[in-house]
Amino acid sequence: MKIGLEIHVQLPTRSKLFCGCSTSGDAPNSSVCPVCLGFPGARPFLNRQALEMGVLIAKFLNCKMSDRVWFARKTYFYPDLPKNFQITQYDSPLGVDGHFMVGEKRVGIWRVHIEEDPGRIRRVGRSGEEVAMVDYDRSGIPLVEIVTAPDMTSPAEARDFLTDLIIELRRLIGVTGEEQTMRVDANVSVGEERVEIKNITGLKNVERGLRSEVTRQTKMLAAKKRIVRETRHFDEERGVTMPGREKEFEEDYGYIGEPDLGTYRIGPLAASMAIPETPLVRAARLSKEWGIAAPAARQIVLTDWALADMFEALAAKVGGEAAMSWTMGPLSSSWKDLREKASELREDIIGIVTAVTSGKMTDSEGRMRISALPSGKEAAAPGEDAGDLDALIVKLVDEHPEVVRDYKGNERAANFLIGQVMKAMKGKYSSKVVAERMKMELEKRL
Amino acid sequence: MIPFPTVDGLQALDERHAVFCERIEDPLALEHGKFHFSAKDNLCARGFQARAGSRILKGYRPPFDATPIRKLREIGGLLIGKTNMDEFGFGTFSTNSGFGIPRNPFDTERCCGGSSGGAAAAASLIPEHLSLGVSTGGSISCPASFCGVIGLTPTYGRVSRWGLIDYGNSLDKVGLLTRTARDLERYLPVISGPDAKDPTSQSQPVLDMRGEVATVAVPAEALVGLSPEVASSFAEAVKELGRNGVKVREVRMPSLRYAIPAYYILATSEASTNLARYCGMRFGVMNHEFDQGFNDFFSETRSEDFGPEAKRRILLGTFSRMVGFRNRYYVKALQVRQLIIREYRKVFESCDAVLTPTMPFIAPRFDEIARMRPLEMYQADFLTVPPNLAGMPHISLPCGYSRGIPIGMQAVAPQWAEGSLVSLARSWEESFHYRFPEVTA
Repeated sequence: MKIGLEIHVQLPTRSKLFCGCSTSGDAPNSSVCPVCLGFPGARPFLNRQALEMGVLIAKFLNCKMSDRVWFARKTYFYPDLPKNFQITQYDSPLGVDGHFMVGEKRVGIWRVHIEEDPGRIRRVGRSGEEVAMVDYDRSGIPLVEIVTAPDMTSPAEARDFLTDLIIELRRLIGVTGEEQTMRVDANVSVGEERVEIKNITGLKNVERGLRSEVTRQTKMLAAKKRIVRETRHFDEERGVTMPGREKEFEEDYGYIGEPDLGTYRIGPLAASMAIPETPLVRAARLSKEWGIAAPAARQIVLTDWALADMFEALAAKVGGEAAMSWTMGPLSSSWKDLREKASELREDIIGIVTAVTSGKMTDSEGRMRISALPSGKEAAAPGEDAGDLDALIVKLVDEHPEVVRDYKGNERAANFLIGQVMKAMKGKYSSKVVAERMKMELEKRL
Repeated sequence: MIPFPTVDGLQALDERHAVFCERIEDPLALEHGKFHFSAKDNLCARGFQARAGSRILKGYRPPFDATPIRKLREIGGLLIGKTNMDEFGFGTFSTNSGFGIPRNPFDTERCCGGSSGGAAAAASLIPEHLSLGVSTGGSISCPASFCGVIGLTPTYGRVSRWGLIDYGNSLDKVGLLTRTARDLERYLPVISGPDAKDPTSQSQPVLDMRGEVATVAVPAEALVGLSPEVASSFAEAVKELGRNGVKVREVRMPSLRYAIPAYYILATSEASTNLARYCGMRFGVMNHEFDQGFNDFFSETRSEDFGPEAKRRILLGTFSRMVGFRNRYYVKALQVRQLIIREYRKVFESCDAVLTPTMPFIAPRFDEIARMRPLEMYQADFLTVPPNLAGMPHISLPCGYSRGIPIGMQAVAPQWAEGSLVSLARSWEESFHYRFPEVTA
């Protein structure tokens, strides 16, 4: 089985690809102008930021980058397409022949280009009396199109590919939309002939659409029926693919160069662009660098970028394994509260974990102190009214003469009692204070 | 539906007519920095319909000014009207308009030339008047020559095309038609310059008005197929230039003969995509028959409201873009264009301008035009198409009269050297007397 995908993702620019209109219109047709409505006499001017984002994506996907690019007109008639041609890239994509790794699996990338989105048609009213309304707010929204080789061998693999891709793009260019906004055309062939499922929205639907199409093709082959090359649509409600309503022959878009936009030299730009580390690349690095399991590394990075920062700082002090268990344990569980102050608490956290791993502090105390960090109790200094602390220490030392005895030969014997005090005081006093007072009390009795 | 103008409409017309008359008759207007100008109907202007000679755009009122119009208005220009043209610029005689046919001021049985026919007629008829024209394949030179005025087509990319209704975007150029070189000196710098709203205008060098034409090249290929009166007028003009101290050299430019086919493929390919947007929704003619599929809806409007020449060019252009033909036609034509540009550059190594007659014949009569086949009409542009295809600046100047009907010559300069063409116009009008038609009120 072979599956190839054409993925459209919106580029998160503030203005549209070829005009100054905002990309976030509220009411229908509220963010439109003569350019994105295709008025006679209006013409496009390129949003450089969108081009740069496209170049970054192509480079990230390991493409061979073009030196010069230009745009093309793809002509077809449809009411949501104001000029009745779409400005896209045809014979000069930003990059070709790249690849993307999904775990160990390499998926080829045939090409990456940018293009404008058409408007949207909304059908309202009861069936039979429905009215089609066109909203041009989306007209001219910048999209990047990524075309893969037919390298995926199951619907699940296709889904994994899309999941990972969107994770990376979110970090790379700040794609804000959820995966539901991703639009995908999927090509699938179980036997010889391929079928294209057009315009599937959202990750789950891609997998569902592919599954249903694979089942259909498998059944047809089993029944010795011929699969015809065609375009189908995925009916989300019924969960099956249906033949497209359009004509059966391949449409001829009559591509020509877009003469209103010049050529753009992206070679030097692409060469000078640094690719920031993306989540899955970072996870792979963490796994390799610190010898931790890949799923754990992935979980740390995907929980929060700053949590991974914390992990790295810890790992440098206490090694990968300890850093991982602290990061995935106590730090993860109170990360919601820690996150905001993570940078100022960083040294405290490192201090606590180092103290525990070097045996200066008990594990449970470390955990307690970490969970106490966000509320700032750590800072509470023992005042004159620490009477309850001293009283508890005296009481415990009285109850455990064996600790006094052991303490003579090994100061760490005190840790048992310190832990008891910490537990009873629920983080009211810092371990430092508790340890000091405990030491004083024990040494009195030697 | 009211089948005649509303009261408001009539008032507006009256007011405009009054302003029009006032401007034309006020001799002090110019001294006060004011002047009147008209614009070809494919240039958008607030307050006017922009129909580009096509019924399909009837009623379209653009919400913005074309950049050259905005710039002229900013320095005190008063736009007094829009001038008639071949539908979307598709024609050589302005006979392909959806709104009547302009007649030649020298002989009303003859055409004005095209496609900026109305613009040339206005420049010829109204003293002190500036006409904005547009050329894709010779649409300024041709009517300037037929109507006995100066027609300057700047380098492609010199004047912003923001607000110009597209014919062939890689060929379209906004230019000037007028009676005097002084107007070119005055207004060419105004309408030129980079504009963020037209990326193709942004890489131009600063306009230099100082250039000169000391040596002209006359290609032998341009002297074949001329009518006798054009041939003799042109020969006389070349002699006159010689007497004025201009060196004349004969050259060969064999690739010029490929300009017409290459031009028609490129221009119609682009035009067929530009015209896709006219479909009875959003602007211009509105189709209200919503009970049909969108294909039928679009086809209905396009069948009814495009003229025959527009349909012919849409078919030609769509064909040239089709898979299987694209490489044989569209891509090949792009290569021919490069070839022609190279040939011009070679000639310009030793000459300042290439000089030819503008049109091979004088303005034809309408009965003659009715007998011409499309291919003959296309062929008539064989001297005006090459510089347009190459994007080189060119100028048509009156250079003779045959039984009172004007004849023009055309000078082509290197890219961005339109300044030298203006100085050629200035020195030429010192030695050659232009005639203008007498108009009675």
